[in-house]
Amino acid sequence: MKAKSDYDSRWSNEQEFTAEELSTVDAIIERYRSKSGSLIPVLEDVQETLGYLPKSIQRKIASGLGLPFSEVYGVVTFYSFFTMVPRGKHTVKCCLGTACYVRGGKKILEKLSGTLGIEPGETTADRLFSLETVRCLGACGLAPVITADDETFRHVKPTKVVELLKDYE
Amino acid sequence: MKRLNSERLKKLHLKMARFMEVRHEDTTTPGEPRYPIHLLICGGTACHASKSLEIEQRLKSEIAERKLQDKVTLIETGCNGFCAQGPVMVIYPAGIFYQYLNPDDVGEIIEQHILKGYPVERLMYRDPGTGEVISRMKDIPFFSRQQSRVLRNRGLIAAEKIEEYIGTMGYQAALKALTEMTPHDIIAEVKISGLRGRGGAGFPTGMKWEFTARSQGDVKYVLCNADEGDPGAFMDRSVLEADPHAVLEGMIIAARAIGAHQGYIYCRAEYPLAVKRLNIAINQSRQCGLLGNNILASGFNFDIEIYRGAGAFVCGEETALMTSIEGKRGTPRPRPPFPAVQGLWKKPTVLNNVETLASIPQIILNGGGWYAGLGTLRSKGTKIFALTGDINNVGLVEVPMGMPLGGIIHDIGRGIPNKKKFKAVQLGGPSGGCIPVQHLNTPVDYESIMRLGAIVGSGGMIVMDDSKCMVDVARFFMEFCMEESCGKCTPCRVGTQKMLEVLTRICDGEGREDDIETLERWAKIIQNAALCGLGQTAPNPVLSTLRYFRHEYEAHIREKRCPAVVCSNLFKSPCQHACPIGMDIPAYIALVRADRLEDAYRVLLKTNPFPGICGRVCDHICETKCRRSTLDEPVNIKYLKRFITDNAARPPVKRVSITQKERIAVVGAGPAGLTAARNLVLKGYGVTVFEALPEAGGMLRWGIPEYRLPRNILRGEIKDILDLGVEISLNTRVGMDISWNDIEKEFQAVFLAAGAQKSARLGVEGEDLEGVYGAVEYLREFNLGNRPTTGNRVAIIGGGNSAIDAARSALRLGAKEVVILYRRLRADMPAQDEEIKAAEEEGVKIHYLVSPLKFEGQNGRVKQVICQKMILGDFDAGGRREPIPIANEEFILEVDLVLPATGQALDLDFAKPGIDLTKRGFIKIVDGTKTRTSSDMIFAGGDAVRGPDTVVGAIAAGHRAAREIELALRQGKTESPYTTVTEEGLDIPGTVEEDIREMLRLSMPEADIAERVGDFREVELGFSRQEALTESTRCLRCDIEAE
Repeated sequence: MKAKSDYDSRWSNEQEFTAEELSTVDAIIERYRSKSGSLIPVLEDVQETLGYLPKSIQRKIASGLGLPFSEVYGVVTFYSFFTMVPRGKHTVKCCLGTACYVRGGKKILEKLSGTLGIEPGETTADRLFSLETVRCLGACGLAPVITADDETFRHVKPTKVVELLKDYE
Repeated sequence: MKRLNSERLKKLHLKMARFMEVRHEDTTTPGEPRYPIHLLICGGTACHASKSLEIEQRLKSEIAERKLQDKVTLIETGCNGFCAQGPVMVIYPAGIFYQYLNPDDVGEIIEQHILKGYPVERLMYRDPGTGEVISRMKDIPFFSRQQSRVLRNRGLIAAEKIEEYIGTMGYQAALKALTEMTPHDIIAEVKISGLRGRGGAGFPTGMKWEFTARSQGDVKYVLCNADEGDPGAFMDRSVLEADPHAVLEGMIIAARAIGAHQGYIYCRAEYPLAVKRLNIAINQSRQCGLLGNNILASGFNFDIEIYRGAGAFVCGEETALMTSIEGKRGTPRPRPPFPAVQGLWKKPTVLNNVETLASIPQIILNGGGWYAGLGTLRSKGTKIFALTGDINNVGLVEVPMGMPLGGIIHDIGRGIPNKKKFKAVQLGGPSGGCIPVQHLNTPVDYESIMRLGAIVGSGGMIVMDDSKCMVDVARFFMEFCMEESCGKCTPCRVGTQKMLEVLTRICDGEGREDDIETLERWAKIIQNAALCGLGQTAPNPVLSTLRYFRHEYEAHIREKRCPAVVCSNLFKSPCQHACPIGMDIPAYIALVRADRLEDAYRVLLKTNPFPGICGRVCDHICETKCRRSTLDEPVNIKYLKRFITDNAARPPVKRVSITQKERIAVVGAGPAGLTAARNLVLKGYGVTVFEALPEAGGMLRWGIPEYRLPRNILRGEIKDILDLGVEISLNTRVGMDISWNDIEKEFQAVFLAAGAQKSARLGVEGEDLEGVYGAVEYLREFNLGNRPTTGNRVAIIGGGNSAIDAARSALRLGAKEVVILYRRLRADMPAQDEEIKAAEEEGVKIHYLVSPLKFEGQNGRVKQVICQKMILGDFDAGGRREPIPIANEEFILEVDLVLPATGQALDLDFAKPGIDLTKRGFIKIVDGTKTRTSSDMIFAGGDAVRGPDTVVGAIAAGHRAAREIELALRQGKTESPYTTVTEEGLDIPGTVEEDIREMLRLSMPEADIAERVGDFREVELGFSRQEALTESTRCLRCDIEAE
């Protein structure tokens, strides 16, 4: 397995967020502050706004909700939906649930990985694509399935993958 | 919408029921459109993904443009559960079902169906088995064989309108529970129903509610587990998208039963549409006074909030889910204390699955006894299964508990597509197990499935055909569990990782002899010591596949072979790995492409002494694994092999000098015997072949007819073997013309390859009449040069290659009517597809589901067959349905000749006296060896051991026998086995097609049908040079690793 630190260090220059973005984060924290156990919804909403959850933002949320930073970090790294590195402009998800796997999902993933030059969980250097694997999108009747942003592609064949990606620039 | 009370609820129900009445009308007359028309288009996630929204838009605009709003209502329903056929739409009245819809179909639907009253046939469902068009949803077996209780509203109500739910008696159960029943009454009813948790654990729901009701406290919670994480399960998604109010209503009733006022639905974030629909449903319910304070003016308060998951499978576990709601990492907690006593925020909590909660309203309305009216003693009610994988009808199947597994797969799922065979079905996802073909009669209920080593679980049913590797499947599930493990407890965190390492090594060809024992040992430890269900059940798929598919693990470990040709680290080209003799297929195809046919021939001969024959009669397993089929169709490997042998000069053969002392006898000059003889002679041994018939070849000469295998091809390849120096004694029956004593005196080892050339008896009255003649014997008589009496009407019994050979030969011998009687269906026939097709083209008629009851004759000669019609019953151990006679359903067939071809046996005269035989009468092979028999230095292989098999199977047996004989002879002398001199390597071209485009395989030109049935000329004519070149470019060169 490639050393994660090589990939992570690419994104460690922490981005400056705009004042507007930061105040949105404040508003989210404020909305949930009084509810107990609201860390996860806060993280979900913040990630939807900013695209990812770098440590600086995690510290901000921790202090806003009165929680230790380690607890926030622990939750962010536990759930696969949260990411500490930015997502690409387009997110390509390859379903590896059993039904898709049985219909050739592994080969599709290999082709995607090879074509984009990244492993699942990573983003291309030009920030155009992020590649992820998903466990079961619930569209098992259309296996094997991949999604690119909001669009779902069904009965995908490895030889069609390059063509499919060309539409996303 | 106004806040509802009892009176207003009932009024609204009546009003809506009338509006929705048309959706229960199932008759219509073509050409007479009736209005109102309701268009129910599926709006589930899968159909959305298939562009159903675009279709909806088009329909909306067409309806508006043509001003049809008064007559036609368009409704977007939730998931219909038949996702692979999506987008789907049902049109009432009549309930016409349309599938695979395209936005461009809208015009025709409006014009033809809606305005003129003629449903559009091309958009209707076609049965995968019979091809029959079925227009109404209620007639489609997939739907008609289900019992839709939880799914009663599938495809029938608007997904985002609470009024339509109310129109189907929605919220009347809540009304009853809140105003007419006590909590005690509610719990009693649920207990009577026997409802068990549908999320996987199967815990009795009534009992769970009772425990929680008993706990003290003002603050209690009702939780709905909508974190459907099992890959392959989507029944909860469907319910949430189609009928979310059923879940809300169930929660209200649960809250009343236990005394809770707050509920949460924990819905996985991967289901955005379900979350959206739940939000809409909750908001609408609140507006109507069905959630919040004073529900339905009953004085009871209860509200629900949605909590989204964040992508962690373990959060489907009860206590992990609660920990997640509390804002922490989703790790489970030890029990006791149980959630009924201390759950969410340490308060008494009931957690139920979506399907469980959606069952509650009907239980309250119709009574627990009604619910318990279906199912088995300990597993009451219905269960929704998600039938996916290698199955014709993919979708959600709701049936009573206790339905036989095979019924779900074959009657509802309509079997395996692409002519493949069923191998196993995975039940219960990563916590479950695989059930193989011999258990298809098992009723699907909690206890029966557990006895087989699997679990019903959430209801995921993933069907696998013979192209799946069970070791790879086990590895896949273990990888899933390892990745999803929360990490809290060591047995799971470390155990799944270690087990995965072992499984990965096995799939990579680095398996060790003690690996299986290691896996079993660790599995027990993890099952016993893990903290929660994830860890406790993670080893199940491994244990289950070891139980039923141990031989696959052993093949991976001992032979570095993946029988299903899936584990790609064990091979480069799947075709070569699948071939029983490992022919280097990509190499010879590359040489065809480079026009180096002599070199290609040399590649063939490295592993196959009979390439010209195989190019005509092989059953080409290689083509079934060809990767090209993932693009369009497999490469025509067999026909390319034939092209080489037809067009290149065969390498010259030189006699080999004898350098070894030992002499070896081979009994039977068929492909197995001759292959072994050739290999041994090349190593310098003296070999003598004894053949009872006048000419060598075995079934190649005396069975397979000339129109499939011309005699000159056969003779040429045999001559090349004999010219090496093999001695052959024809017309010599071992055991009669030469005694076993003499053989054992003269020869140091014997290979018994006498084949299985006796027809098995049918056991039918009249079998001994003249004119009832085993097909194998009939073919032999003809091939000996005698023309056996054929007559005008011939009936052949059986569906294998011998039956087809006999049928097509009888035609050529003058029969006017040739009929095959087969007791099962076409898909069950063992004969090669292309042979069956050729027979039908030549005029052979096949009757399915027919068996001979009796043969009747006159003057000792057969005149007619009494035929019995059959119906298919339960599954046998081979996974095929056992034919059962239909009483009093018989018919008479007049015949001149009957040729039974239902099985072949070893002629026991050839078996050495005293040698061990199997139960079925073939030569028994000693365990741990491939060809050794119970008699010292007597080896056996081919049809004599396995019953009628393929030519390439016989060649493989010949190779194995030669190896074992040589090993035995040399080791007996404490010498190391003689090593082969390596031939000079051939340089194989490495050209790979840059631009791969779809191109179907070329078809084999055939002799004109009308002409060819008059004689035995070869039917398949062979590729031209151009055709061969074109076909060879279709090979994807899987043997070359990409840079």
